[in-house]
Amino acid sequence: MEIFRALGTLIESPAAEHAQIAAALGLPAAPTAAEHARVVAQQRYPYASVYLGAEGMMGGEARDRIEGFRRALGLGRQSGVHREARVAADHLASLLGMLASMDEWCRRESDGARKALLAQARVTLVWEHLASWTGPYLASFEGCGVPFYQDWASLLGDSLARLGARMSFPDYLPVPLRAAPDPVDPRREGGSAFIGALLAPARTGVVLLRDDLLRLADETGLACRAGERRYVLHSFFAQSPGAALTWLAAHAEEWGCRMTAAAPAPIASWWSERATATAGLLRELVADVQTAPFDGQVASSDARNALPRAPSSVSSSADGR
Amino acid sequence: MSGRTGGGTRGSVFGGGTGDRSAEAGPAASLAELNRRVSAARAEVEARGETFYPGASRVHLAAFPPKERWSDWVELDSRAWPERVERRYMLVPTTCFNCESACGLLAYVDRETLEVRKFEGNPEHPGSRGRNCAKGPATVTQITDPDRILTPLKRAGERGEGKWEPVGWDEALDDIAGRIRAAIDEDRHREIMYHVGRPGEDGFTERTLAAWGVDGHNSHTNICSSGARAGYHLWMGMDRPSPDHENARVILLVSSHLEAGHYFNPHAQRVMEGKKRGAKLIVFDTRLSNTATHADHWLSTYPGSEAAVLLAIANHLIRTGSYNAAFVERWWNWREYLEQNHPDEPVTFEAFRRVLGELYAEYTFDFAADESGVSAETLEAVAEVVAGAGTQLSTHNWRSAAAGNLGGWQVARALFLLNALLGAIAVPGGTYPNAWNKFVPRPIRMPPRHPKHWNELTWPGEYPLSLMEMSFLLPHLTREREGRLAVYFTRVYNPVWTNPDGFSWIEMLTDLERIGLHVALTPTWNETAFFADYVLPMGHSSERHDLTSYEQYDGLWIGFRQPVLRAARERLGESVASTRDVTPGEVWEENEFWIELTWRIDPDGSRGIREFFESRERPGEKMTVDEYYGWIFENSVPGLPEKAADEGRSPLEYMRRYGAYEIGRTVGPLYEERVPDGEMADASIDGAGRAYARTGPPASPNVVPMPPLDGDGEGRRRVGVEVDGVVRRGFPTPSGRLEFWSGTLAAWGWPELAVPGYVRSHVHRSKLGEEGMCLISTFRLPVQIHTRSANAKWLNEIAHTNPLWLHPRDAARIGVGTGDLVRVETRIGHFVVKAWVTEGIHPGVVACSHHMGRWKTGDGPRQNMATVALSHEGTGWGMSRKRGTGPFRSDDPDTARIWWTDVGVHQNMTFPVQPDPVSGAHCWHQAVRVRKAGRGDRYGDISVDTAKSREAYREWLARTRPAAQHSPDGTRRPHWLLRPVRPEREAFRLPMEGNGGP
Repeated sequence: MEIFRALGTLIESPAAEHAQIAAALGLPAAPTAAEHARVVAQQRYPYASVYLGAEGMMGGEARDRIEGFRRALGLGRQSGVHREARVAADHLASLLGMLASMDEWCRRESDGARKALLAQARVTLVWEHLASWTGPYLASFEGCGVPFYQDWASLLGDSLARLGARMSFPDYLPVPLRAAPDPVDPRREGGSAFIGALLAPARTGVVLLRDDLLRLADETGLACRAGERRYVLHSFFAQSPGAALTWLAAHAEEWGCRMTAAAPAPIASWWSERATATAGLLRELVADVQTAPFDGQVASSDARNALPRAPSSVSSSADGR
Repeated sequence: MSGRTGGGTRGSVFGGGTGDRSAEAGPAASLAELNRRVSAARAEVEARGETFYPGASRVHLAAFPPKERWSDWVELDSRAWPERVERRYMLVPTTCFNCESACGLLAYVDRETLEVRKFEGNPEHPGSRGRNCAKGPATVTQITDPDRILTPLKRAGERGEGKWEPVGWDEALDDIAGRIRAAIDEDRHREIMYHVGRPGEDGFTERTLAAWGVDGHNSHTNICSSGARAGYHLWMGMDRPSPDHENARVILLVSSHLEAGHYFNPHAQRVMEGKKRGAKLIVFDTRLSNTATHADHWLSTYPGSEAAVLLAIANHLIRTGSYNAAFVERWWNWREYLEQNHPDEPVTFEAFRRVLGELYAEYTFDFAADESGVSAETLEAVAEVVAGAGTQLSTHNWRSAAAGNLGGWQVARALFLLNALLGAIAVPGGTYPNAWNKFVPRPIRMPPRHPKHWNELTWPGEYPLSLMEMSFLLPHLTREREGRLAVYFTRVYNPVWTNPDGFSWIEMLTDLERIGLHVALTPTWNETAFFADYVLPMGHSSERHDLTSYEQYDGLWIGFRQPVLRAARERLGESVASTRDVTPGEVWEENEFWIELTWRIDPDGSRGIREFFESRERPGEKMTVDEYYGWIFENSVPGLPEKAADEGRSPLEYMRRYGAYEIGRTVGPLYEERVPDGEMADASIDGAGRAYARTGPPASPNVVPMPPLDGDGEGRRRVGVEVDGVVRRGFPTPSGRLEFWSGTLAAWGWPELAVPGYVRSHVHRSKLGEEGMCLISTFRLPVQIHTRSANAKWLNEIAHTNPLWLHPRDAARIGVGTGDLVRVETRIGHFVVKAWVTEGIHPGVVACSHHMGRWKTGDGPRQNMATVALSHEGTGWGMSRKRGTGPFRSDDPDTARIWWTDVGVHQNMTFPVQPDPVSGAHCWHQAVRVRKAGRGDRYGDISVDTAKSREAYREWLARTRPAAQHSPDGTRRPHWLLRPVRPEREAFRLPMEGNGGP
């Protein structure tokens, strides 16, 4: 269905053509390059691997699964699935373009068996590679401050829902969720791994944006130092681990509720449970921090000691995210 | 956490998004309605020829401006940052000239100033698909180079003295034309020679020489690709491979394609796409090149052993029966082979299979391991990978091993043997012949004539099978055979620096008896131009017209190089009469130069030359480039007029707008094509299955060079070959099939090499002696452009030196470390260079990139040339470095920021000529001794004795089997072999003793 190719294109950096696509979809005027940079490019990375991967970063096994799916279907560069696919198969525009193309192939296919196979592959694409992560991704646009993107996320969510209404999904969770990495407890695995995990939605069930960190600083009175998200979190924990953990726990609880409305029920439940579990862990850590005054001598299993100290320099904490 | 969701799930459980749109959107029909609206909007926009979706991609750095906005494209000026200053551009396509690939470029022409601001890729180009390597965008540094030659210059002192004075185009043209006219009028046609480095065009100059009736074409190819091309030519009649890497299951490269190989950018992107689809990559490379690092199987073969390894793989395929016997039976000339070589065997395929097995039985993995230094287990594993390729084996060899070794042409023969065994020829994922993936449109007023004279200076009788001109022997041939050239053009070529034995070139160029007039047509100062009489400034890729077409995938395309400022002005409604009006200074383009020169050679048309450059539209006037290309695009490119008309443009306007056109793709296995009945008038089939008919050849606008095959002697021409009882197109070889056994080689004195085999190289370990090492000089730095790097500042900053790769074991033996000076001694002299100790090179082998060591004795380019002193006494020559490069003030502030001083060492001068006696290709690898530099040695020192050069020339000459003794039919060369500007048939006859020949 062309609508999905069009919706996918709109998440790419704005071009003049976006105006005519947006108009056809009844969306507000296309955003500026600055709005795209602020809302999408610097915060809401439209790659499945960011939301499904163990590190919350692009690439890796999460992308390999999608590339493997493409290969299994025999799709090469010239297949016309989407112009982006040769760069990154797990880009949302690529996946939606692929969905549109599969729809067309399915319609054109005259061989009954092949048609059935294509139809099943289409269901797999939606279930395994889109629905598995678009829920939290689209939910993250709530309150982004740019009406275009809010409406775009809403329309894409609706459209996927309506498409899904015509499909029979399997009775098991998508592979990326079944194989999702575990949450990280800093008391066992250390503060650095914990902070890394906070930035991996598949571990926490939570999308933690740069804007969220600004809100954290604003609402807790902590200073928000300039740097990558990992660096900023380091800085918060160094200033006041209790305040930072408390805010993050509330944020995770909020995501536990938010997710119930943004994905197919079993998938939404999975994300919601993850977020709720993360909130519980963070509350435990808050309690630990409050009951064990920090003096630098407590046992290593103590939450406060497990959290990182103040970063020594910006460069040493930069992780490229 | 359980993975079960508790029962089958219907999509209706989606929550309905994050906003309130779901309530408005209603039932599923709304989705269909929205979908219909989007589809309708797309159809409406695309019906206007415009783009609905943005370019190829908007993610990462792969975005392209949509073509409908190429006339007014707005970008922010990066230099104005942080202010947001908009600049408006016209995007004008042209074709890169910085290697053979001919990738598409888009020039960003500032609409206000009409200056070219930058170059990026042209997404409309089918070969490069919008992508470029570093050399393409660097064009902007070439056209703005402060040391650029902007006016025609005439020698003012002695040749080579470095004194010049400006000269007008008219004066230069009259002088040159007068000398050429005199040579033609006095029947001295052989004294006119055009020596080309980077051709970058298809046919214009050969057409010019044909019009003059001069066998004066001299290419650089015998120091480049001719070894490999000879191997391919003997197999299939066409001389270049066109591998379909993208669809291959196994890619086998005897080269470094992913960094610098031939068609680097178009091929590298397809190799990577093939890999992404699961293809395995096998790389033969003595060095740990960038390509080797991408390989699934890297074989660091000892130089010259490549054919042994390939034959061991072939032996494995034969021994295990894992080759495509049906293909071999149908398409190899095995019957001819058995009849000529095994007269006692029955002429059956079973007998051939047995003989084939015996023929290659000696090439065991153990044998190949001994030769190559790669373990037998590894070789067997690689052979298994090849065996699993089926017909999807894409292979390529261009220079590399074929250009380095005695018998290098057998590397290509042995490599293509694998394709021929598997039937991986001209099928998806296999290797195609170039001529089926190349389109050379027939030009207007094609001269029907062939030169009457054979040029012995380029096609000497000792090398009857040489694929291309023996160009690098010119100093020796002119000296020993009293050859004289009245007018010698070097065109985008720098033999003093590029060729082996550069001091012999200087000796020739400074000898006024041998070279009457040397005209250097060049966009850049170079070491050869220093020894010219005229230096005539020619345009770079954005300043000239050319047509190109290259085999880069299974398809046919043409690319149009054009002066972008001319096209931009015409887009603004201006009329440009001559490209000179829009180029910097008095820079010109060659097309208009050749037209003008030809008119002055034959001013009244009485010599029958001028007519080929006369306007058809306006008789009596000169043809213009617009008419020349306009006619071609209108009449010789199928589909282009219709495509252009769809957009309301003329074909020329279409090409000026988009720069490229794809005529078709998926050409497929043409050899299988049945010859239609309409071409079979009065057909006959001879005993070898070759079919002949009296029908003329089908009219084709594609004049891509193909071998001229003899008819049946009764007036019929060759039309194909009978296979399975059907006359098919077959291959353009004497047999019409793939020539596993080359009757040509056998008949012309090389019967022992007539099947794909292994020739022990001149740098084989057994021939090096104690302390001897092999020097590899055939690789290049991927960001360099041969001679034209000297004024490309970005490229020079990236790479500007060429240390000697040296294995730690050898470094320890010699007693040097990285950065220490070493003296490399060759057969004729030595050079002094810095060592780079690395495990990325095979022990016993050293390597030095051929791209560096530019020099000048006085004024000249300042970015990347050392200033040197030349010394000369008798046959002894020396070069010592006075200073490297450094910062200097100019209009370009970047020149004051040059931070490097080193420009590398010019090693080629110390190499003797080493022509392969069969293919004629120079065998670049050198047998050397490497020592720690002595007290008196300085970086960049070069010493050569040209008397030793001549000795080496004679030694290699003695290996030949000249036509005079070995020609089977009294001719100089097999007529069917490809040859530029082919003379008429009579000129092929060997001169009768005493009459000097035709």
